[in-house]
Amino acid sequence: MHKEAAIRQPLILGNKSYHDITVDVISPIENKAPRAWYVLITITGLISLWGLGCITYLISTGIGVWGLNKTVGWAWDITNFVWWVGIGHAGTLISAVLLLFRQKWRMAINRSAEAMTIFAVMMAALFPGIHMGRIWVAYWVLPLPNTFGSLWVNFNSPLLWDVFAISTYFTVSLVFWYIGLIPDFATIRDRMTNPLTKKIYGLLSFGWSGRAKHWTRFEEVSLVLAGLATPLVFSVHSIVSMDFATSVIPGWHTTIFPPYFVSGAVFSGFAMVLTLLLIMRKVMKLENYITIKHIEYMNIVIIVTGSIVGVAYLTELFISWYSGVEYESYAFINRFSGPYAWSYWIMMTCNVISPQLFWFKKIRTNLTATFILSIVVNIGMWFERFVIIVTSLHRDYVPSSWSMFYPTWVDIGIFLGTIGIFFTLFLLFARFFPVLALNELKTILKVSGEKYKKEDH
Amino acid sequence: MAQATHSTKVVHAMFDDDHRLLDAARALVGKGIRIKDVYSPFPLHGLDPIIGIKRTRMGIVSFMFGAGGLSLALLGMWYFMIYDWPMNIGGKPSFSLLENLPAFIPVTFEFTVFCAAHGMAITYLLRNGTLPGMPAVNPDPRTTDDKFVMEITDADNPGMSTEELNDILKSVGAIEINEKHLSKK
Amino acid sequence: MASNKKYWVGLEELHGTPGFQEASKNEFAPDSVSVDEFLGEGNLGESSTNRRDFLKFLGFGVTAATIAACETPVIKSIPYVNKPESITPGVPTYYASTFFDGTDYGSILVKTREGRPIFIKGNKKHGLNKGSLTARMNSSVLSLYDGTRLKAPVAEGKETTWAEIDKSITSELTTVSGNGKTIALLTGTIISPSTRQAINAFVLKYGEGNVKVIAYDAVSAYGIRKGNELSFGKAMIPDYNFAKAKTIVSISADFMNSWLLNTQYLPDYLKNRNPDADWMSKHFQFESTLSLTGSNADHRAAILPSQEGAVALALYNEVAKKLGASAYNVSTDGLPIEAITKAAESLYANRGAALVIAGCNDPNLQVVVNALNSLLDSYGNTISNNAETFVKQGNDTDVLALVSDMNAGKIGALIVYGVNPAYSLPNAEGFAEGLAKVGTTISFSSWADETASRCKFICPDNHYLESWNDYYPKTGHYALAQPTIGKLYDTRQAQDSILTWSGIESSYHEYIKGVWQKYATSMGSESLLFDDLWNNALRNGALSVNESTIVFEALINAENVQSAASILAAGGASSDGYEVVLYTKVGIGDGTHATNPWLQELPDPISKITWDNYIAMNPADAEQFGFNLHYGQELPASMARITVGDKSVELPVIAQPGQKRGSVSIALGYGRGANGENIGRAAFRTKNYGGYELDSTGNRIPIGKNVYPMVEVKDGVMIYHNHGAAIEAIGATFPIAATQTHHTLMGRDSVLRETTLAVFKSSPRSVYNPQHLLAIHEGGEIVKKDVNEIDIWNAHPVEGVGHRWGMSIDLTTCIGCGACITSCHSENNVPVVGKDEVRRGRDMHWLRIDRYYSSEQNMEKAEKEGTGVITAYREMEVPEYDNPSTVHMPMMCQHCNHAPCETVCPVAATTHSNEGLNQMTYNRCIGTRYCANNCPYKVRRFNWFNYKAYGKFGEVNPAQDEMARMVLNPDVTVRARGVMEKCSMCVQRIQGGKLAAKIKGEPVSDGNIITACAEACPTEAITFGDLNDVKSKVRTHADNDRSYHALDEVGAKPNVSYKVKVRNV
Repeated sequence: MHKEAAIRQPLILGNKSYHDITVDVISPIENKAPRAWYVLITITGLISLWGLGCITYLISTGIGVWGLNKTVGWAWDITNFVWWVGIGHAGTLISAVLLLFRQKWRMAINRSAEAMTIFAVMMAALFPGIHMGRIWVAYWVLPLPNTFGSLWVNFNSPLLWDVFAISTYFTVSLVFWYIGLIPDFATIRDRMTNPLTKKIYGLLSFGWSGRAKHWTRFEEVSLVLAGLATPLVFSVHSIVSMDFATSVIPGWHTTIFPPYFVSGAVFSGFAMVLTLLLIMRKVMKLENYITIKHIEYMNIVIIVTGSIVGVAYLTELFISWYSGVEYESYAFINRFSGPYAWSYWIMMTCNVISPQLFWFKKIRTNLTATFILSIVVNIGMWFERFVIIVTSLHRDYVPSSWSMFYPTWVDIGIFLGTIGIFFTLFLLFARFFPVLALNELKTILKVSGEKYKKEDH
Repeated sequence: MAQATHSTKVVHAMFDDDHRLLDAARALVGKGIRIKDVYSPFPLHGLDPIIGIKRTRMGIVSFMFGAGGLSLALLGMWYFMIYDWPMNIGGKPSFSLLENLPAFIPVTFEFTVFCAAHGMAITYLLRNGTLPGMPAVNPDPRTTDDKFVMEITDADNPGMSTEELNDILKSVGAIEINEKHLSKK
Repeated sequence: MASNKKYWVGLEELHGTPGFQEASKNEFAPDSVSVDEFLGEGNLGESSTNRRDFLKFLGFGVTAATIAACETPVIKSIPYVNKPESITPGVPTYYASTFFDGTDYGSILVKTREGRPIFIKGNKKHGLNKGSLTARMNSSVLSLYDGTRLKAPVAEGKETTWAEIDKSITSELTTVSGNGKTIALLTGTIISPSTRQAINAFVLKYGEGNVKVIAYDAVSAYGIRKGNELSFGKAMIPDYNFAKAKTIVSISADFMNSWLLNTQYLPDYLKNRNPDADWMSKHFQFESTLSLTGSNADHRAAILPSQEGAVALALYNEVAKKLGASAYNVSTDGLPIEAITKAAESLYANRGAALVIAGCNDPNLQVVVNALNSLLDSYGNTISNNAETFVKQGNDTDVLALVSDMNAGKIGALIVYGVNPAYSLPNAEGFAEGLAKVGTTISFSSWADETASRCKFICPDNHYLESWNDYYPKTGHYALAQPTIGKLYDTRQAQDSILTWSGIESSYHEYIKGVWQKYATSMGSESLLFDDLWNNALRNGALSVNESTIVFEALINAENVQSAASILAAGGASSDGYEVVLYTKVGIGDGTHATNPWLQELPDPISKITWDNYIAMNPADAEQFGFNLHYGQELPASMARITVGDKSVELPVIAQPGQKRGSVSIALGYGRGANGENIGRAAFRTKNYGGYELDSTGNRIPIGKNVYPMVEVKDGVMIYHNHGAAIEAIGATFPIAATQTHHTLMGRDSVLRETTLAVFKSSPRSVYNPQHLLAIHEGGEIVKKDVNEIDIWNAHPVEGVGHRWGMSIDLTTCIGCGACITSCHSENNVPVVGKDEVRRGRDMHWLRIDRYYSSEQNMEKAEKEGTGVITAYREMEVPEYDNPSTVHMPMMCQHCNHAPCETVCPVAATTHSNEGLNQMTYNRCIGTRYCANNCPYKVRRFNWFNYKAYGKFGEVNPAQDEMARMVLNPDVTVRARGVMEKCSMCVQRIQGGKLAAKIKGEPVSDGNIITACAEACPTEAITFGDLNDVKSKVRTHADNDRSYHALDEVGAKPNVSYKVKVRNV
């Protein structure tokens, strides 16, 4: 069986036994939630309501309530969409890619990371929906024969590729997540004394009993799903990037987009995971499971992806000049010197410069620094999408149509709303779901648990 | 006597450590005792060969679903875009599947994954019989926490009295042993 | 045909037993409870309703309710019992008619559908305008359906009947004429012989001594008539012949927009603007404000209004020098000498084919210009002296005299016809006061406008599309106007009213016929042939006869020139302060059309600003004041107060390149209905969420400000500029709605190309219209290939496969007048979205006209001077301040063969037709806007709101008005909220044309199908046709050396091509 080098820091600190793990993870579900939780969920709940109100107004009145115009047909809507999808990527990456690479440290974070993925993708999927002029016929994007005769969808359109990519991505991650949850629900079920909750978790656990055969299948399925999810992670954001890459608009029409978007996605995703985990481990006292080591590992991923993104920015600039295409070069000159230069420089500072601080071990192992930077990174990544979408559109080929984009209160309201909904969902998750993958953690206890490591030596 | 034939006894031996259970299993099997099943809070690596569980074919299932998805996607797009209602969209060719294939790759891939993943997941749940509302059958609630239970039926091990079995189990370090009578209908 | 076999229920029925007949009387079987039995009011109270009954009632009630709910609404459509001969449902009928509103004159064709006029186009076959028209003319169809027009005669503010009002008016008029007071008839320019007759009849009725008839033009040309009087002893306006002119020098005469008979001058002018021809006319413009005409001139020089005289003299002197004639002394400092000498040379070189015109009303200036023209011997050549023009007969002196007479109480009755002096007179208050002193005041206005609302009687006139009339715009040319629809309201044609009051029974229609008959006989054509003549004239709308009479002797009165010259030389150079130019916009004109939303939303051809008038000021001056130089969605314009004499208004300031420093321009015709007069829905400011903005007194706030009071009155002549204006910033700002906020081309010559005539004539295509070459690897080495030869896929074939509808637009002849925009508006039911939405960059125009100014910076220059790229681009965004060269570029859907928009639509709502059209399927669109983003030309328009119902547009969008909705073209769907729309190349017309051809059984012949824009274009800059028809006009244009595709290198392969603009410099 798998052995771990003694010099490696243990992943589970404190003298934990199997039972301790169970208790640590499930106690928040059994006990009353801390006051902090109630405060937080009230706040996020209110923000969500506000967001939902804005959405209702939007759908009842028309897209005109946004700040868009004849030149800038997409702005915050698609910016938010891409931003949320990007954030989603971390979860799948952690649980799938790291599983394939047998990275044991993932086990402490993959459950919550996946949860985050699900919620982020939900938020993302919201925007392509509400940005439609006629959302009530949104189902027309599915290849359904209709009453007008066989009128099919257009498979040449990147937007249609998105439909398939996002729906696949969402449902697959959901399944992956839930299959992992089933045994843990069983654990909760068996600990519950209150008949009602016992019943509920009983339902959720699908009557899992932990038979040997089931465990074998469980592991196989997890592995295969990971194998499927991995290319999915890369494909989804590649396809999202093709919305832009396959167009003719200078600043969009860029072959570098797929890798650049994927790394950007992982970048922002890890940042968001950090933001959430740093709060969660504090509030739910999971310091022994989500250790400094975990944080450091994630920060390293952030350095790497951040640098990739930085290189991508510079490459874009170089190519725009090197191409000799006047529109192309102007698009980028306009980005860093035009009316939206401020957003470009925010993007640069947040995404290229700030993550470099993680080269210092002091900073990347410092929780406060990490927390702040994780938020900075996500601000930067939002602006990256804003820069790509708006600054490319607002001054494209024909100067007579050049214009500016100004967000309205509805633009802002809906964006804040999605953040609210996202955190509300995550808080509910933290309260009622096992936030760590119990069954997985237990498998590494003896390998990488502090207690056992001591015993061995 | 008549009654005995109509009822079968099940022995649940509980262990508090996975390694100890594995050793025990090895020992029992060595003695020719057949272990019906093991209930554990997490997958026990190396157990399957001992108690004789065959390799699962989930992977193959997913591959087949995937293959199905792939061909369905291609067939569909060929039918929609080229056969049933070809249109001039941006002057792009819509004359044969091959010409238009580059545009079809993304959807093909996504749909393949979609079918592979969901097909397998559903099969997995059905095959396990783990579905919403199914009753849990683990003999002891602690088996989902930190205890490991071995299930041995005398039906599988004829000509071995309960007493011997208990002694053996004790000797290999079972911390609890309890018997159940399941009446056969 | 249903079978009439009778089936009987049983023998009882067959034999008709009494029992059966009894039973058959009541529908229900005897034992069943009948409805009124248990719902009967009376016994319901005491009826002992048991549970069963209750359930019974309940059951019935529920079912009844359900049934009632299920009933589908019945839409009543009444078929023609016997179809009118001229109306076939679904097939348009065209009527020839004539438009004249005092500013524009033209022969038009009115398209009616099911009896409703819905579209107006120029009459290309007949009439002196040769089919050319202005935006004001083709938009006038909308005003017909204006729901705010008066719907009945009004006496003292109360609606009444015609009989009533006629009685009181005639009695009052007789009393007035009885006690020797004057009856004044204040009319606009009347060029209708029959109306003149009618008025004469009226005059005779009430005594020649008593009745005064005074002609008044809001924007008059009295100075020109006066000038000609001084020069030739006859107050008239000669007939200018631009077709013969090789050199045209215009001193602030905006003859492309509104000057005199502009609709006649434009086509003539453009005859000679074809660079492919042997010669091309040269056009010089000296003006203060950058006018439509100036923006199209080959040479434009900015001057102060006060310098116009000096410029005229300087020109005269230059030419005189060459001819050895005597010169007049004038100081030339501050004048654009270079331009003047150039112009003079060109004039001299083209003597006999030269034309000098001046827009200013200063008679002295006109005298000098006349002198110059005769020096160049234009009379008899470019200026005919045996034909005169009858438009603009307004006599300012008489009008001003009338006002003082009214105030002096000399006027007993005032009849106002077709003018609005209480709004448009420089001393409108004076007029209003006078009006109060006049006992009987009668107006023919269609609205209770500024003047009518102050009148005792309002006898609303018909809309011209409901009226009969005849016209005599210039010597030898007659035209008829006929009703194209029955009266919508209880209105009466003014002429009918006049006839009635003059005691003439016959209807005006009969009257006109009578007049024409008399004339015809006088012309010697026998009366039995008259009906042919009449019907002919009526069918054609116009009629030319040979009336060669010497109108005036082109002998200049020398001493008048001398004195005029000395006055000009002395005067001019004005006092301190700014000089103010008062001009009329292409859209609103003199204010008559202020209530027309199409025109309010029509962007000004130069500033591209809609829904407002403003102070146009040179950017350099604006900088000194510290005014905002840029305007946009969130960049409002600075407000300033401009004071001329005792008149002052507060208006936003626009930095207008080309405006002469030291002068500003303000458009007339705005600020209508300032005192809450109800003059139409679109004339007032609206709030961002619908409804009108109200001032403190609860009145609706008009759009823009009225600057007629600033018109200068100089010895009895109204002069449309003024001087000594004080301008001060007032700190406030004002949002501006412009359809274009970036003004330079940024050196993108693949969007728009221009060259000079010299280059064009002397060099190969590669110089002035190079192909886009792309370096590609082929057989190992790099070769340069035309982008159109390269294709990464095997595309759908377009050459020679069926039709391929395409368009060619000649940038040389396009003057940017905007007639195509309004034409497209009315043909395609394009919604009007109002100021706030335009400000937000959401104008819905399917066809827009991009206007670019030249910039002082360009990449070549920057490289030479070593300016950094970033700075260079920054500087290229800034237009030349003082005298930019301007280009107009119509831009609509390019119907690309490789359309980027089509590829990206997820639901295939926009696809390519096999006739080369880029089709938009509205009912399939889900509104992702991806297509609009991916359109390199940015021509797609999104329905941001439900324009036909959402409150915000209630006041502006005609589709929301009960009546105005009738103007919608039934062949074009009104688009739903949330769908994309764009130019369809008038696909409904294409289908119609194909059907017509099919019925005839012959192929579609070139020119039979024409889009609304091409139809409206007064300069025929737009050609539409089948590119696959090798003989078609559009194909020859497309194959022309000047032809190029905008943004060719993007590879969209458009079906719309442009022709390089050629300037004759």
